[in-house]
Amino acid sequence: MENTPEKPSPACCCSTDDGTGKSRTPDNRRGFLAQAIAVVAGSVALAVPAVVGIIASLNPLRQKSQAGLLLRLTSLDALPEDGTPRRFPIIADRTDAWNRFPNEPIGAVYLRRTGAKSVEAIQSICPHAGCIVQFTPGSGEGDKQDGGKFFCPCHAASFDLAGKRLDETSPCPRDLDTLEVDIRGGVDVWVKFEGFQTGTAKKVAKV
Amino acid sequence: MNALLRWIDDRSGLGEGLRMCSDRPLPGGACWCRVWPCTLIFTFCVQAITGFFMWMYFSPSAQTAWESVYFLQHEVAGGWLLRAVHHYSAQVTLVLIAIYLVQMIVTRALRAPREMVFWSVVVMGLLCLGLMLTGDLLAWDQNSYASTKVRVNFLNLLPGVGAGLFKLAAGGPAFGHLTLTRFLALHVGLLSGTFLLMLIVRGVLAYRVDKAEVAELAEKGGRVGRYWPNQAVINAVACLLVMVVVLLLACRHGLSGDHAGVALGAPADPSVAFDAARPEWAFLGLYEFSHLFPGTMAIVPIFIIPGLLVLFAFAMPFFAGSKVGHQLNLGFTAVLLSGLVVLSFYSVWKDKKDEGFQTALATADQQADRVLQLARSPQGIPVGGALTLLRNDPKTRGPVLFKVHCAACHDFADEQDEGILAEESSAPNLYGYASREWLTGFLDARKIASSAYFGNTAFKKGRMAGMVKDWWAEAEADDIVDDIREELATVAIGLSAEAGLKSQAEADEQDAQLIADGKDLIVDLYGCTDCHRFHDKGPAGKAPELTGYGSREWLIDIIANPAHKRFYGTKNDRMPIYAEFPDEPAKNTLTAHDLGLIADWLRGEWYEAP
Repeated sequence: MENTPEKPSPACCCSTDDGTGKSRTPDNRRGFLAQAIAVVAGSVALAVPAVVGIIASLNPLRQKSQAGLLLRLTSLDALPEDGTPRRFPIIADRTDAWNRFPNEPIGAVYLRRTGAKSVEAIQSICPHAGCIVQFTPGSGEGDKQDGGKFFCPCHAASFDLAGKRLDETSPCPRDLDTLEVDIRGGVDVWVKFEGFQTGTAKKVAKV
Repeated sequence: MNALLRWIDDRSGLGEGLRMCSDRPLPGGACWCRVWPCTLIFTFCVQAITGFFMWMYFSPSAQTAWESVYFLQHEVAGGWLLRAVHHYSAQVTLVLIAIYLVQMIVTRALRAPREMVFWSVVVMGLLCLGLMLTGDLLAWDQNSYASTKVRVNFLNLLPGVGAGLFKLAAGGPAFGHLTLTRFLALHVGLLSGTFLLMLIVRGVLAYRVDKAEVAELAEKGGRVGRYWPNQAVINAVACLLVMVVVLLLACRHGLSGDHAGVALGAPADPSVAFDAARPEWAFLGLYEFSHLFPGTMAIVPIFIIPGLLVLFAFAMPFFAGSKVGHQLNLGFTAVLLSGLVVLSFYSVWKDKKDEGFQTALATADQQADRVLQLARSPQGIPVGGALTLLRNDPKTRGPVLFKVHCAACHDFADEQDEGILAEESSAPNLYGYASREWLTGFLDARKIASSAYFGNTAFKKGRMAGMVKDWWAEAEADDIVDDIREELATVAIGLSAEAGLKSQAEADEQDAQLIADGKDLIVDLYGCTDCHRFHDKGPAGKAPELTGYGSREWLIDIIANPAHKRFYGTKNDRMPIYAEFPDEPAKNTLTAHDLGLIADWLRGEWYEAP
């Protein structure tokens, strides 16, 4: 143990400015081996808790968002024929870590008639920053017959009845998200409820 | 790269700092005997890292603490290992501190000028105990709750300030949400922070003392080594060995499955006594020691003697100077350590042969497994917390309620007498109640008057028993015993179908014809409806109603009030009325909830993991 070099190298074994020269004396080689072992053993020992912790903390990546829920929301005749949107809460089971909440409102969609046998479903989540859009009924007047609009209170984006952006400089990067609708037996309105990533110009389902 | 390093070095003095550590002179050179401080720094880092990641998952409240630990332990990938490494690394830290202290005492390294180095390590030891104590509670399971409550209650022993200190520790007059938030803050904040401070203090103090000693040694031409790299290698290997030990301990219950890592008991139930409460091993000696004193003197073993021991520990550096003092220190250490070891082993040995404790331990394990099953059921953990899972579980609560309220008279035991035996069997054995087998036995002339049925009741010589005996006697006379056996088995099948037992669901579905036949026999051939009401036949109020016999509602009603005219009426034999006033719950012996649990349990109706 007395063989410790006079001027030991600094903590970083790869730096060369320790001034011990480049001669490969046995002492030096032993010193290098010792340094390597110290660094490797120390790193391995400390890596264990770090790796275990990081693996555990990455658990949320394994969790999936609720994928396309098929739900019957209403019957066709319950929707106004003039195409005024109606809001329907989505009631489903919700899981929050260790708790399970049966039959809770987990979101809402607007349904609107687009024809005798056709219905459009619009997600109530604004694609810009994820706020909830509200439908404000119009006066029914004017040459375009004001039927109302969807308005997002967070950044003042507004959308027409079909969910198209009304403002050319809208803060929202895309129109409101529509959902798949299936009218079964010509009566029951079924909707595939899903969420989409916000902030993107393209509509991408949440994973 | 070099330029960047130099830039950083110029402004931070990082290189100089590193060199100060690496060039640290060591009196006597590198040595395995010097590994303890470094391993302590190492285990502290392990605790800080694993603790941080556990903190990410922990939710400190009475309804979520256990639940979030459950989630980490059983749902998060690698969560059990994280918990186990944190737990065992804490135990190892305490052992390392103990070894370090003993080494200092034995080698007299605590003498001047190293008194404060020694003290800093003593303080670390106390902080480590405090960290174990506060960390233990956070899991909020039966044992951690019960044993921590006992410890915090000890504060009440302190005259004058005790009651106030208890409230401060518990965050109020009783354990609850605020106890958890406080203990968490103490654990991850104050105690951990002070521990880190002590590590730094010890490092600085030791550096100063070493430097002075080295200067002295150099003058005498003694051996002087430097930290880097030889001591660093030794320390790094020592840390690695510590980690290996921690991992071996963490994995001693296997690498997967429900019992891997550190056990998590059932969630704490403040309303129920927990008979299997024991402190962690580090406190076991003190726990047993306190039993040597009468309760009125509890303050002596809990506060006075431990306080004096700590005071003595602080005085040890002053004794170590003289030879006699050194002997005293050695003697004290030997007596203390061997005393703790002997008391701890005595405690373990005593528990091992204590049947009551072993039963309590087995029950606690059963409940831990059961709550796991329930938490994983499709309903999951309700917002009210996992404790409600056990409180609403017939499998868990049924036997407890039965023992308290029913087992004074009723057995609940199979043919081998396994189950719950009555204090003094004076009513039917309810094992398999309302099942086909139970009813077949009831309708058997040799059995109805036996202790398993009406043998110890007023009905032993009643009309029912008489009728059954008559049927069999007549059949024997007519030599049609086999026929009556078959018929009565069909009656049993028909009547048992009324109960709709889970265990017979399949059989009931298959035997629709037999059930119909049985019901016909009840009404026609056997004339049961002469006395019993059965659906739209028979008189009401003469004998217990058979409509819905053994069903959940029927059972709840008969337990609530067997003397109701729908059941035994005035002929009720000693069976207590448990819930006579449905509208005034306060007047009843059993709540509607408990009645439901007993009925469900008797019927074998509870969730089982598929």
